[in-house]
Amino acid sequence: MSNKTYDVAIIGAGVVGTAIARELARHDLSIALIDANADVGDGTSKANTAILHTGFDMVPGSLESRLVARGYHLLRDYAREVGIAVEELGALLVAWSDEELANLPKLQAKAVENGYKDSVIISAADVYAREPHLGVGALGALHVPGEWIIDPWTPIVAFATQAKLAGTDVILNTAVTGVTKGDHNVLHTTGGDIAARYVINAAGLYSDEIDGVFGIKDFTVVARRGELMVFDKLSRTLISHIILPVPSSMGKGVLVSPTVFGNIMLGPTAQNLDDKTDSGSSEDGLKFLREKGQKIAPELLDEEITAIYAGLRASTEHSDFQIHSHPDNYITVGGIRSTGLTASMAIAEHVKELLVAGGLSLGATKALPHVSMPNLGEAFTRPYQDEKAIAGQSAYGEIICHCERATRGEVLDALDSAIPPTTLGGLGRRTRAGLGRCQGFYCHSELRKLLEKK
Amino acid sequence: MKRTDVDVLVIGGGPAGLAAAIELKKRGVKSVRVIERERFAGGVPRHSFHPGYGLRDFKQFLSGPRYAEKYVDAAITAGVQISTLSTATEWVNDSQIRVTSPAGIETITARAIILATGARERARAARAVPGKRPAGIYTTGSLQQSTYLEDLEIGTRAVVVGAEHVSFSAVMTLKHAGVKTVAMLTDKNKHESVGLIRFALGIWYRFKLITKTEVVEVLGDKRVTGVRIRRGAVENVIACDTIVFTGNWIPDNELVRRGGFAIDSIYKSPVVNATGQISGTSIYAIGNLVLPIKAADQCAVDAKIVARKVAVNLN
Repeated sequence: MSNKTYDVAIIGAGVVGTAIARELARHDLSIALIDANADVGDGTSKANTAILHTGFDMVPGSLESRLVARGYHLLRDYAREVGIAVEELGALLVAWSDEELANLPKLQAKAVENGYKDSVIISAADVYAREPHLGVGALGALHVPGEWIIDPWTPIVAFATQAKLAGTDVILNTAVTGVTKGDHNVLHTTGGDIAARYVINAAGLYSDEIDGVFGIKDFTVVARRGELMVFDKLSRTLISHIILPVPSSMGKGVLVSPTVFGNIMLGPTAQNLDDKTDSGSSEDGLKFLREKGQKIAPELLDEEITAIYAGLRASTEHSDFQIHSHPDNYITVGGIRSTGLTASMAIAEHVKELLVAGGLSLGATKALPHVSMPNLGEAFTRPYQDEKAIAGQSAYGEIICHCERATRGEVLDALDSAIPPTTLGGLGRRTRAGLGRCQGFYCHSELRKLLEKK
Repeated sequence: MKRTDVDVLVIGGGPAGLAAAIELKKRGVKSVRVIERERFAGGVPRHSFHPGYGLRDFKQFLSGPRYAEKYVDAAITAGVQISTLSTATEWVNDSQIRVTSPAGIETITARAIILATGARERARAARAVPGKRPAGIYTTGSLQQSTYLEDLEIGTRAVVVGAEHVSFSAVMTLKHAGVKTVAMLTDKNKHESVGLIRFALGIWYRFKLITKTEVVEVLGDKRVTGVRIRRGAVENVIACDTIVFTGNWIPDNELVRRGGFAIDSIYKSPVVNATGQISGTSIYAIGNLVLPIKAADQCAVDAKIVARKVAVNLN
């Protein structure tokens, strides 16, 4: 590692870490963005439920409520600016019992307390008019038109790309193992020492362990596994809103939601684990999801399953985000759950304020380099549908992944980009290639060859 | 956008699609166009390097690639127009379809459209096999393409899931790639291939056929380290670095469904009448799109019969 002392080192290049790096990159600061994995967004960020949350159901007055509400607007505008797929679907919180039905007015009142005023309670007849394929027994619903779906992966790559183009050093495959505090902090890593005046811990599942390195113990992260089933694109016409359960003490429960990629997703489960690496799906979890799916949208289960994911949420014993300034110019950004995607840009602003309050001088402000991301949304024009793009470069007319209709041009673009993929999974998150129904029956070998050649 | 008219458009350039196209030309149909989404026409036999193709149609014992090549040559000789790297993306109406290729986007209008899009093996997710998602998981299709077309490194010890005809083909491909098959698993009571093949390959490659057994978990973080299996109430772990999910075919029925045509609820194939026609349309379905899975030469023989009807209906 170089002898350079960075102004800020950010540990963790998930959606939160990359958003912070991007926010700070507007200023005359030297920044290191460090991650133990080989790619950005390769930890807890990669298995998000992909909803742009209004924050209507947060705990009123909490930091999470405030940052989700603010982040919603920031990310929505950012998505438009750089070309990230968003679909304005709206959510239905469907009541399946009298008790849940009686809870809807309370949820509506809570939404207002969170600053969200557009939700309405609708009748069972209205529910079925909107969602004719819903299972029997829906008694009514709270309609939340502002809950949208978003591509959960492209924001991370976009944030990291902008930060890198603005001068941030993105240091991957590098795990932080210790620190020596002094005038500035020296992080000991698997890749050598990295010196920085300020350190931000955005290490997700490992944020408590990084706190431990700094001698702090505010919370313990428990990996809460969420298993998700993704159904074939041919099922997309079955459901047109995000179908949410009425929350109970058991957490938010299982949702059925379209994705911007054109699939339907069923999940997540919620199971606390001792092992922070156990991101496998389980027999019991999948059985549970099938039972839930059978009730919510029975026809969905006749469709083919395209993918099964298990994500690990970084839950703590606290209900709110755990964002704290500590001595030694050290800030922890922990306890960020599935709302972290929506809140990411607001978290970044908040962290910047904490840094300034802690004495960091931001220096001159510069404009961030403009980035334009490939829009992977099914509701938008993809290169294979774009005559002009194909006329400009024939590789955009060469479909390499047939299920997702990803072209050779898009794959080559991703491999040539500022933050290139290093694995098939990373390539898939950037292009959709290989993530479709055949899971590589046709394109696996060709994608692997292109990636390995790189 | 480019617009083209043809008498018959065949979607899919495997044995069924090519055999139908050749037959149509023989019957005097003027313009016959085959569109194929891969770089080369020929279909699955192209990457299935073992012999056993061509008995029913060419009366010869051929390897997959040689068999595919014979069909492509015969189609070109017959005057069939073959467009590769060309994907049918959407219906404009029942006689018009939109196609993307490196040359651009084209709308093709046809007096008859024959769907010959084939079938694929259900991947691990479609079978809902729990566990992690390490590298080293294949279908026979992706394994054969990795081995024969791209010459990629595969592994050392494989478990083959499924005991259909194609599963034994996977065993031969693994051998070619230097991978030992340690076990073949099936949840059925016995294998579903030809007895002689099972017997000969079982002895030749020395793997164990384990019946009435399901895979209940994929093990391994970055790379497969094994599979957890269950037979009755008994669970075991087999160590391996490669898993091949074979058979369990599903027709590639996307165009059929996108067109709003009826699908058989069990086989997921388009519902066709005795002449292979989707009733009320001039659209036909042939090959493994209809009730998979049949041998390539059987698909070709059946496709010719449908092609004759198409030719009669056009004249």
